[in-house]
Amino acid sequence: MTGKWARVGLIALSVSLGLGSIAEAAGVLTIGRREDGTTFDPIATAQNVDFWVFSNVYDVLVRVDKTGTKLEPGLAERWEISEDGLTYTFHLRDAKFSDGSPITAEDAAFTLLRIRDSELSLWSDSYAVIDTAEATDAKTLVVKLKTPSAPFLSTMAMPAVSILSKAGVEAMGEEAHAEKPVASGAFTVEEWRRGDRVILKKNPEFWEADRVSLDGVEWISIPDDNSRMLSVQAGELDAAIFVPFSRVDELKKDANLKVMVEPSTREDHLLLNHEHEPLNDPKVREAIDLAIDKQAIVDTVTFGQAQVANSYIPAGALYHNDNNLLRPHDPEKAKALLAEAGVSDVSLDYVVNAGNEVDEQIAVLLQQQLGQAGITVNLQKMDPSMTWDMLVNGEYDLSVMYWTNDILDPDQKTTFVLGHDVNMNYMTRYENETVKQLVADARLEMDPAKREAMYTEIQELSKADTHWIDLYYSPFINVTRANIENFNQNPLGRFFLEDTVKN
Amino acid sequence: MIAALGLPVRRRPMLAIGSALLLAFLLAALLAPWIAPFDPIAQDGSIRLHPPSLAHPFGTDNFGRDVLSRVIWGARIDLQIAVLGVLFPFLIGTAVGTLAGFFGGWIDALFMRLIDVILAFPFLVLMLSIIAILGPGLTSFYIAMALVGWVSYARLIRAQILVLKTQDFAVAAQSLGFSRTRIMFRHLLPNALAGSLVFVMSDAVLVLLNGAAISYLGLGVQPPLAEWGVMVAEGQAFITTAWWITLFPGLAIVTLAFGFSLLGDALGDLLGVKE
Repeated sequence: MTGKWARVGLIALSVSLGLGSIAEAAGVLTIGRREDGTTFDPIATAQNVDFWVFSNVYDVLVRVDKTGTKLEPGLAERWEISEDGLTYTFHLRDAKFSDGSPITAEDAAFTLLRIRDSELSLWSDSYAVIDTAEATDAKTLVVKLKTPSAPFLSTMAMPAVSILSKAGVEAMGEEAHAEKPVASGAFTVEEWRRGDRVILKKNPEFWEADRVSLDGVEWISIPDDNSRMLSVQAGELDAAIFVPFSRVDELKKDANLKVMVEPSTREDHLLLNHEHEPLNDPKVREAIDLAIDKQAIVDTVTFGQAQVANSYIPAGALYHNDNNLLRPHDPEKAKALLAEAGVSDVSLDYVVNAGNEVDEQIAVLLQQQLGQAGITVNLQKMDPSMTWDMLVNGEYDLSVMYWTNDILDPDQKTTFVLGHDVNMNYMTRYENETVKQLVADARLEMDPAKREAMYTEIQELSKADTHWIDLYYSPFINVTRANIENFNQNPLGRFFLEDTVKN
Repeated sequence: MIAALGLPVRRRPMLAIGSALLLAFLLAALLAPWIAPFDPIAQDGSIRLHPPSLAHPFGTDNFGRDVLSRVIWGARIDLQIAVLGVLFPFLIGTAVGTLAGFFGGWIDALFMRLIDVILAFPFLVLMLSIIAILGPGLTSFYIAMALVGWVSYARLIRAQILVLKTQDFAVAAQSLGFSRTRIMFRHLLPNALAGSLVFVMSDAVLVLLNGAAISYLGLGVQPPLAEWGVMVAEGQAFITTAWWITLFPGLAIVTLAFGFSLLGDALGDLLGVKE
């Protein structure tokens, strides 16, 4: 519980003391981020902080390219898909784990079955479609599916199915392996000082080791946005991610720094609880959509750096519908709709993540905008540890959340948001049987053109129902010192540190 | 215990400055609707993050709200925090301290052990837990303050009463056959209060800072209401680019706290209370 004065002073202190000793070794890239990771067990987390480092430490069978739009070979140098779409045969390249042992089809099979079956796995549902995964020889993996699955190949690229060493996991035990894993990627975990930093070292056994120029990487957690930026400005860090929107213009003017604004798949949206009156009435939900001035949010909160959203599938992502309905800001029409729905004195509880700069600002703006349409909004600032449970339990009317895609294919997000899955459609309690059926059908449809048409329809139907309110798509914004090159992040969040150069 | 009013002249400036500061804030709070140049919660996207100027002497914040107006309106809430945050603990503490000191025995033992238990927890942690249970908001803050803050007053008053009740005037009152209530509240309490009154002033400073801290953590005043702690918290994100959002409410907190402590010191001298 640091007081505010102490906190302001600490910015200066942490800059001068806490980071004094790093960044001395040439070729070690130090990166500041908001929070430390939670594990190195790929199946036991769904958080970006973990996934983004997994991509440095592990390789996957199939990779997503730098543009975030195509799949390309990873540890599998090629693959075949049977006519009926049920059998996938992956041919692994010659590659080694960091302990020098070869990466075999046996390891890949172990990885896939583990994410499907392990009690630790948060992703069992996504991989339940796998019937069998067998190594027919040391380099050939045959995966049989229970049903055809259009998104299956994309799910092979997710960091959660990073290829693990079967022998390594079994010898060390899952818990020890999750602390200091056997690496299959560009770097190995040298040391993990929990809560402080992850220290990675170049993995000389990596099959693309000559592509890697850095000797090592340190992911350092500096929660305070201002001190993280100050550290880069002072040259004590080589790079920092999560540049606050408010700082972009100022940092861009600094000749010692490079600011990268890169397209992402992040979408911020306003959740509506369909179980609570009067939000069960589609007219009321539409009125709320009309009452919100999304451009004002983009201007105020993101300093113009985001783009107003018209669909739950982000712009640039597969099957995004450019022509999806974007309701204009029209408070008068909103009032008329509310009157038509026969509701007055609408009062809604809005759960806000306390301490989140962006969330809090959106909340204050929405409160005023909805107020102009005659809707009273009561802000309830809550500790982020509590807000998620409140959403799950339905103890809210409105709340802003965001999503970044983990895979290329829209199926994952669609299932979560509209598939009428176990999570009550991202806690909105939205129900529409037609949409539900379409989501299930689109998963099985192997013809890309037909699939695209289905996703277009899903986007139109869910927008017509105002299942939630799309706010904006924002980019990933990172900053490095001028001497750092190729510090890039693709729209799914993967950093290509194997190409990063420190001059 | 109450000294004669012949106070040294060189001490008077503190009294004067302290009361002047408090009076100024009180006036600002009372007259806020008339003296604040703008609506404190009206947003204007066209004048976001403007530095101090003639139109906006304290600048504008990230929603284009006038910082000066927000600081003035904030005085209402922060003074309320300082007063109510002290009043309830003072009343409860005084009642408990008087009873415990006067009656002694098991009543005394019971209350003193309860106080020990409360003091065993770190103050902020205990308060945050109470607010977390009750839900964020100022009402919860006042309840938490009342539940936790009374212990200091109870101890102060009890100690005074213990000393006073053995003194001649108290013994005399007893032998005259006055009722216990009369002795407690008419004879002992007025003489025991001086120390507490001085403590009220320094406690007001702590309560004010606590209130600001609680709001800073998102558990106190809810947006869009203007409160200094909230303003400092909201401005922190822009501290390197728009310092004025944070500086002015911060200065307001410091100045009001300064006023309270000056007045507290002066009162202490006036009432002859030893530190």
